[in-house]
This record gives sequence, structure tokens and C-alpha cells, in this order.
Amino acid sequence: MADEETSAAERRARFEALAPELVESLRRFLARRTDTATADDVLAETLLVCWRRLDEVPDAALPWAYGVARLCLANAQRGARRQERLAARVAVVDPPAQSVPGPGADDGDPRLDEALAGLTGAEAELVRLWAWEQLTPTEIAAVLDVTPNAVSIRLHRARARLRDGLRKIDGLAGHEGSREGRTP
Amino acid sequence: MTDDELQQRLQAHDPAASLPPADPTWVARLLEDAMSADQSTESPGTRGDSLAETRESGTRHRSPLTWLVAAAAAVLIGGVGVFGLLNNDRESGQVPSAGPGPGASVSGAPTVTELAAGAPTQGRCMVPSAEVLSNAQVAFSGTVEAVGADVVSLTPDRFYAGEVTDVVEVRTEPAMMQALVGVVDFQPGQRYLVAATGGEVMVCGFSGAFAPRLESLYVAAFPG
Repeated sequence: MADEETSAAERRARFEALAPELVESLRRFLARRTDTATADDVLAETLLVCWRRLDEVPDAALPWAYGVARLCLANAQRGARRQERLAARVAVVDPPAQSVPGPGADDGDPRLDEALAGLTGAEAELVRLWAWEQLTPTEIAAVLDVTPNAVSIRLHRARARLRDGLRKIDGLAGHEGSREGRTP
Repeated sequence: MTDDELQQRLQAHDPAASLPPADPTWVARLLEDAMSADQSTESPGTRGDSLAETRESGTRHRSPLTWLVAAAAAVLIGGVGVFGLLNNDRESGQVPSAGPGPGASVSGAPTVTELAAGAPTQGRCMVPSAEVLSNAQVAFSGTVEAVGADVVSLTPDRFYAGEVTDVVEVRTEPAMMQALVGVVDFQPGQRYLVAATGGEVMVCGFSGAFAPRLESLYVAAFPG
């Protein structure tokens, strides 16, 4: 019993030492991917998973926690989508999964949004993890649970596709300078 | 466009760039929620113990009926207790010694506040708040003098609430001592903040080692 109480206290101490720095990064991670209310819910869920699986948290805790948050977010979005479908009773086939533009879509670079939207969901996520979370391929591999090698190759490809997309969009906008203002 | 330029362009468009830092209180609450919400699942020292529920093994999935029965039992026990006290009064004319009552002081000898440790709580811990803490009848900071088999004695240096006494003793059954020590981690020579309601030490983060955060909670709960 004494051991259990001690280990409970140790667990708490470990979580309390670990979690605050995760929270800040996770908030940003989620703010980049969903609305505020969902972000708060998913953050709470993610922390709960971290607490339950504290013994499995590796030394490099953050990529691992991002991986958890990613799955929790996917669950939340699946649930939300299901509800939307039910509510709307939409009888059409779901459109294929597209990368969702970030919630900050209205502040600035619509061409970048457009280029990001041209990527597949997986490609866009790689780019986000690289540019916004600023993770290395090894860390991204931990988030996505794939090999670092695969991340390197796919990230390289995703960046090339994004660059191409941007070049096309920027080029188009350049040529049609007079119509630039119409872009929302 | 190089990778760096691409990264910069993306970063300039980071939706989280304008996110203000989280309120520390909110974060603390979030962490506490995570830790306490989990009491239902499994004891951290998962050894397949099918013992009675502890704080860790929790009560989340208990049916409302269980709570109803528990409430009924509490009322019954309370009733019997009151009946016993009244009876005792009438027969002996003595004031019953309220064992774990707050502020049971003895004149002459050093005054003592006796508190009971109580069993580890069955319910969920709530986030320690000054509002809840202000309900404590006894609250003090003090240094642990000794940890005995069934008593922890403290020398208080400040009373936030309750009658000021020279010594505070927290009594518990020897079997529960480990639990109490585990929950509050009483160590001889260390300073603690302790609060009690109904003569029982409040655990769940209300009592603990002296720390600025906990102290500010006490100051907020007992202004003046």
C-alpha cells in the first residue's frame, strides 16, 4: 500500500513536471488544425491519454504527444463529421478527403492556402509538422508512426509539390495582376 | 524557392502565431482534471488489485444507485451517532469527548487541536479552490514534529482558521497511517499547510507541503 501511494505521488510529480510544457505546444498544434472549442476538448483528451499512458511516454515526449493529439483530433473530427452528416442527411457521397486550410485562412496568404489545399491531406500534414511544429524528419516519424526514411522522402515530395503549386498560383496571379484584388 | 524560404513563408502564415500563452490557472486545472478524471480506470500501481476502491481506482462508473445507497448509509450512521451522543449525555451527564473535533483544547497543558486523517476519499478530487478551502474550520501552517504509529504532531506557526493551539495532532488508525503519509507526505521537520473540515484533514491538494502556490490559496481563502 505504501508503495502504491508512493508510486501514485511519483506519477503525479512526473506528470506535473512533464505536462505544462506539452500543453503550450499542444495548444499551438491544435490551434493550427481546428477551431477553439474542439482544440480545448482535444487538448483535455490528449492530456488524459498522456496521464493514463505516462509509463509509455518516451524521453522525446513532444512528438509522441503530438501523435496522441493527432489521433484524438481525428476522432473528434470523425465524430463531428458523423453528426453533421446525420443532421444534414446529405444523400451525396462524401467528397474525397482534402487537406483542410488552417483556421487562420483569413489572415494573409490566400495563395499559400490554395497551394496547401492542392496537396493531399497527408502531404499537407507533413508540411505543417515541418514548418509550423518545426520537427525533424525523425520527430515527424514519431508523430505519424512511420519510419524517418519514409518521412524524408514524402516530405521532400510534398515540399516540391507545394512549391510547384505556389509557383503556378503566384505566376497566375502575376499574369493576371489586374484581377488579383478579387482573391478573397 | 529554397526549403528555408518555403518554411518562412509558411511560418509567416502560422495560425497559432497570434495565440496568447495559456493562463497558468487554466493549465493547472486542465492537468488536475486529467489526473482526477482517470481515477476510474486503474490504480497506477496496476497489480490487478481488486481491493476496495481507493482514490486511484475511483468512482466514475458507479451507478447512481450506489450513491443513493451510500447516502442512505451515511444518513443512518449519522443518525445513530447523534442518537448515541444524546443518549450518552442524558445518562452520564458528561460531555462526550468529541474525538476528532476541532479546537479541543486542554487548559494548563499545551493546547492541542486534534484532527483525524479520515479514510482516503472515495469521491473525485476537485481542483483546490479558495472558495472550498474557506469552508475549512481549521487551517494552519506548521512544522511536523513527529510522525508516530497513529499520530502526526505538528507545531503550528500560523492559524488561518480555527482556535489557536500550541500543538496540532492528526490522528489516524495505524493501518491508515501509510495512506495519510502517502497523501500528504508528512515528514518530520518539514513545514505544511493543513486544512480540516469536520475535524478531518482535507486531502486532494488542500493540505500539503508548504509551497507558495498553496500558501496563496490559504491567504485567498482566509483574508485578514
